[in-house]
Amino acid sequence: MFRISLKIVGASGQGINSIGAIIAKGLKRSGYCVFGYREYPSLIKGGHASYQLDASNERICSTETKVNVLVALNHHGLELNMDELKQGGIVLHVTPAWQFPEHHRKLIAERSLRVIYFPVDDILNRLGAKAILSNVLLTAFVWSMLDQDIDVIKSLVGEKFAKKKALLELNMRCIDEGYSFNPEQGTISVALPPPDKGFASHLLITGSQAMGLGAVHAGVRLYAGYPMTPSSPLLSFIAELENKTHMVVKQAEDEITAAQIVSGAMYMGTRALTATSGVGFDLMSETLSLNAMIENPTVFVLAQRPGPATGLPTWTAQGGLLQAASCSAGEFTRCVISLSNSQDAFDLMPVAFNLAEQYQISVIVLTDKHIAEALYTQRPYDLEKAEIDRGRLVVDPEKLQALKSSDRFDPHAQGGVSLRWLPGSEAATYCAQGDEHNSMGAVDESSLNTKLQMEKRLRKSQGLKAGLPAPRLSVGGRSAKATDWMDGGDEIELLAIGWGSTGEIFQDVMCSDELRGRKIAYLHYTYLWPLRTQELERLAKRSKRIVLVEQNYQGQLGMLIRMECGLDIPDKILKYDGRPFFYDELLSSVMERCASTPEKGANLPGFEYAGASS
Amino acid sequence: MNIALQTRLPAVSEYYSETKCIWCDGCGNYGIWTAVKYALVELNLHPWQVCLCYDVGCHGNGSDKIEGYRFHGLHGRVIPFAAGAKLANMKVPVIAFGGDGATFSEGIGHLVHGVRSNYPITFVLHNNTNYGLTTGQASSLTPQGQPMNTSPNGIPEHTLASMDLIFSLNPTFVARGFSGDIKLMTRILKAAIQHRGFAFVEILQACPTYNHFATHEYLLDRYFDANADGHDPGNLQQARALATQVQDRIACGILYQREKLPHFYDRLIPRQGVETTCVEEVRKYDVSEYWKELA
Repeated sequence: MFRISLKIVGASGQGINSIGAIIAKGLKRSGYCVFGYREYPSLIKGGHASYQLDASNERICSTETKVNVLVALNHHGLELNMDELKQGGIVLHVTPAWQFPEHHRKLIAERSLRVIYFPVDDILNRLGAKAILSNVLLTAFVWSMLDQDIDVIKSLVGEKFAKKKALLELNMRCIDEGYSFNPEQGTISVALPPPDKGFASHLLITGSQAMGLGAVHAGVRLYAGYPMTPSSPLLSFIAELENKTHMVVKQAEDEITAAQIVSGAMYMGTRALTATSGVGFDLMSETLSLNAMIENPTVFVLAQRPGPATGLPTWTAQGGLLQAASCSAGEFTRCVISLSNSQDAFDLMPVAFNLAEQYQISVIVLTDKHIAEALYTQRPYDLEKAEIDRGRLVVDPEKLQALKSSDRFDPHAQGGVSLRWLPGSEAATYCAQGDEHNSMGAVDESSLNTKLQMEKRLRKSQGLKAGLPAPRLSVGGRSAKATDWMDGGDEIELLAIGWGSTGEIFQDVMCSDELRGRKIAYLHYTYLWPLRTQELERLAKRSKRIVLVEQNYQGQLGMLIRMECGLDIPDKILKYDGRPFFYDELLSSVMERCASTPEKGANLPGFEYAGASS
Repeated sequence: MNIALQTRLPAVSEYYSETKCIWCDGCGNYGIWTAVKYALVELNLHPWQVCLCYDVGCHGNGSDKIEGYRFHGLHGRVIPFAAGAKLANMKVPVIAFGGDGATFSEGIGHLVHGVRSNYPITFVLHNNTNYGLTTGQASSLTPQGQPMNTSPNGIPEHTLASMDLIFSLNPTFVARGFSGDIKLMTRILKAAIQHRGFAFVEILQACPTYNHFATHEYLLDRYFDANADGHDPGNLQQARALATQVQDRIACGILYQREKLPHFYDRLIPRQGVETTCVEEVRKYDVSEYWKELA
């Protein structure tokens, strides 16, 4: 697979995002798959931030640590990011008379780097343009280096300034000027593979936008949230759309309030959503427990970032799995699912609400900063696929008339899921009771009732677990149905297990030239709790080596796997530095394991069952 | 002969619950419970037409002693839950109940933002000036120095000026009742439920078991119907004075009401001109229009 990477670095607020966004969209419209990744500190102006675009003519969903082009909007980039250039890479900068220190001069020579000074101030003065237009100049020059059609960038910028004629003209002159700039080294171009025009009709979308669209698609009519990165972009996106969607959007006074408002709205019978992160979810967890007791369907988005405490607000992690699977008082049935990319960020929203209503439980949807803010090249969504399933909700007037109060929490209901009907329905009434209660919601602390109701609520997990889709198995980059491969005779050289944003990066790694032809299988978990392990157990028996791939310290999915089926996976590729897995980094970790995979028949299992005598 | 529910006028008996009351003898909750039923019936509301949300405390133990779509939640959190319920279905009257313990301690942020947001709900404060259900600890409305369970030497904190706090939040409806006067409470509750915004109703409530300072007799001697005395609820200055000055006589009735102000839902631009409720709008939406800008 041919991939190139371009990284724009500078201070937050300097315009790195706008340059990145225009180039990303330009490349996409020209037929390239683009993946955008932002790094920035938790502040508004200043600090050192970056926007990296990785592009290919094949599907790509990961970031490399090494780049082909570095665009430095200030001298800090020249000081901090030189090491990241690949052999033959290009450094484009705007700092006049910059003297590289000795070690960088050596690096430039060793890696045959080409350094281009772009005299942005001179050009701006000549055009009589304000400093803000320097981004347009630079964008246009980068575009010319990529050997792309000038009209693409002109039409993109034109869309932005369509209604401001004077500004539009100046912008067009800047594009002409930047595009035709000739560096002293002569023409420099970055080779791109032939485009695949299929990508031109795709969307460029962040995980948060995808989730927002999915939520609206799923019939969410009320959103309440309290700002906390990386869940805030979802709140912003939903709010931006409110005049079109006519949704109720409430910025609450805290996470507890957001969770309670959403719970009240769901109890009343609409679909409502909230999202938060880390300690914000701690505040919501008492409401999770409440909803379990009153069997109120709810969906919570937990957007992970590294903790504990405030941690690293603008960085990524997968440290919230155990929190989602086990926080809050009492024992109850819940469902934890995780997004992996912009496709299921959309697809899983209706799924989450359907599960919540089918089982009258809370569903926690995990995402992370990486998915929330990464820019994906995404095929337009299928709007036919999703169904709205409201479970055992009674709305028919005749059926409502036949209801008894004691139907609401009938402990003998099939699968523990009793009939539900909404306040305002002309029917017998009930109490959504936070105390232990009988079938109609009256407080009942008797031994028999307590036991029956506890069993009712927890019995739901059996049906839920049995109905959840199996983890997705991919083989050497090709996605295959788990069943096709599950019983196939081939021995698996390396079986990797992961979840969430790790999955896409692992897919890219499996597509690499380096691993072509290797018998590597990757089992990806979207449905994390209750946890299905039967597929994993069967695959594990046929695998020479098993490795867990997660972005947390403890290997939290590994802990749940061991808890559920006893399979212990001592070999782990873990990352907990706030960064996602990078393509080249994960590739080398996987290659190391492939190189040391024991020969067939060798008695060196990479895993063992906990408690098994060895 | 069967008469269709919608044409039959509601009766107090419809609100009768087979669950037995468990409050102490002489508890003010009996009176409030009765007045709530009267108010709903007099407003022609059947149990299936109302949503009653209870916080945690002695009053919350009434959640299963009445009919209606009810909710009994977590300590201090009733206001946001009730607000969410109301915003989802504006056609159903939502009444939230909470005690002074929860409302002015754990849930005080929700109270502040509830009044500030002017949610279109009624909030009934059961003020018995202590934490009854946890056996008589001081609340932030208990007088300073009053010995209580867990504060045998009296509480060191000064008492929170609850009505000053409420009036600082630009309320649109403030009323006060007394658990010993069912007729007065009924009148207040009816007006509160019909109010267009956040209706704050304080009910001074006897707690014969733990409150030995503001007893039924103490309140009975001091309370009076301010509206019968000619108080105009449109007079903010006078309302505030009546609400806060309770040393000698305790003014009850509708103390303050401002009706022209739009409530929270009315202020939501996206909902203007929308006739349906969020509950009625749950279906699959075509979102392709919203992704055009992303192409």
